[in-house]
Amino acid sequence: MAGIDIAVTGLGLVTPAGVGVEASWASVCGGQSPAALDPTLEGNPVRLSCRVPGFDAENLLDPRRAHRLDRFVQFALVAAREAVADAGLDPRTWDGARVGVVLGCADGGPGTVEQQHQVLREQGPARVSPLLLPKQLPNMLAGQTAIEFHATGPNLVVATACASGATAIGTARDLLALGRCDVVLAGGSEAMITPLVMAGFAQMGALSKREDDPATASRPFDIDRDGFVAGEGAGILVMERVSDARARGARIRGRIIGYGATADAHHITSPHPEGSGVEAAVRAALADAGADPQDVQHVNAHGTSTPLNDLSEARMIHRVLTGDPLVTSTKGVTGHLLGAAGAVEAAFSILSIERETVPPTANLFMPDPRIDIKLAQNLSHLPIDLALSNSCGFGGQNTVLAIAPA
Amino acid sequence: MLLDQFRDILVDTLKIDRSTITPEATREDIELDSLAVVELSLLLKAEFDLDVSDDELLEAATVADMVALLEKRSATV
Repeated sequence: MAGIDIAVTGLGLVTPAGVGVEASWASVCGGQSPAALDPTLEGNPVRLSCRVPGFDAENLLDPRRAHRLDRFVQFALVAAREAVADAGLDPRTWDGARVGVVLGCADGGPGTVEQQHQVLREQGPARVSPLLLPKQLPNMLAGQTAIEFHATGPNLVVATACASGATAIGTARDLLALGRCDVVLAGGSEAMITPLVMAGFAQMGALSKREDDPATASRPFDIDRDGFVAGEGAGILVMERVSDARARGARIRGRIIGYGATADAHHITSPHPEGSGVEAAVRAALADAGADPQDVQHVNAHGTSTPLNDLSEARMIHRVLTGDPLVTSTKGVTGHLLGAAGAVEAAFSILSIERETVPPTANLFMPDPRIDIKLAQNLSHLPIDLALSNSCGFGGQNTVLAIAPA
Repeated sequence: MLLDQFRDILVDTLKIDRSTITPEATREDIELDSLAVVELSLLLKAEFDLDVSDDELLEAATVADMVALLEKRSATV
């Protein structure tokens, strides 16, 4: 799709760093992680999580609407309202048939499933809520967003595990380039910090066990990193063709100029040790953007704080991106937002370009000596003409977005 | 069952806007769709041990009709 210029005209964020774009950005730039022991995980082998602070769905949406939505959809609607307002669009007057919704999540609504499973076991099937499926099905993320904003164009949810949010943005780029619609609400949302899901992650050995010091548990690229801390939240972008955005006088906050998507075809959970799958995605995104590897000045890395991901990703960056880009992982603050991570980090990348500011990789006390890349240890200021946002999912799915200034 | 008690269930558990719940209000007026009616039927059983099916509730045209149905049913328990 080289030559098709896609603008981002609106941003919306609900993250463990804050509710709203500005709150999230300020906290990510401050470098303090909100990770803490989670009382809902009492009895689990690992109780750490990064929760969205002060998220009151009944107030942010309305009580009736919130009651009928799983938390992962609540996050998305709050973020989407912010993004649509930021874009200066009015859903009451837009041509809904030309508005698409492409969102990603890894798991749908496991919180609702676990709660209703308990009802089934304790009280029997006749007491199971009729809202079980409408609340938990993954596709409701896009379906409910369509209802909220009267967006009747293409509507889908993509699942590439922890790359889902980025895959959604790439898919939205393709839909816009093909002319399938004129506006897309694209991004990801996730709310899977539940006892069952977190027990599963713990059994995989994926989670940090640093319960004695929660705020430093997520430490991407650090020598003592021991796993990720699960986060929750949503990131939503309003995307349009640049020509349309300019024609309506919209403020363009950044451009998605390239999208690369590949599969490792290697292992169900381990990344390829040399990062060959994500390398192929980087090269595909750069080819799509018509850019060279040495042009990349900033990378918002996948950087999960797991021993395997960070090493293979850093080796790939060192090998491929010869322009010595400044690399950060905002997961040091936010934890890992799983299916929302790619969308939240694309938004952070846009803000980095717009504000010439790269947030620090929080908790990077001693970089792993096997890693030879330029890591942002402090808040840094630099003009950026080309940034990459990397995302990798269990199953070996890799998505890379190439992002440029307005 | 009094209107006030019925209204409390609708507001506290189903989060329906209290100001919309008048005796004359229809199901549409209080946004009680077929899924919410099933929820209501489950709540009436759990909270008041009343056996009122969703089909019976769907036949009641207004809030007043639903209250009348519930009063009739509780009298026969």
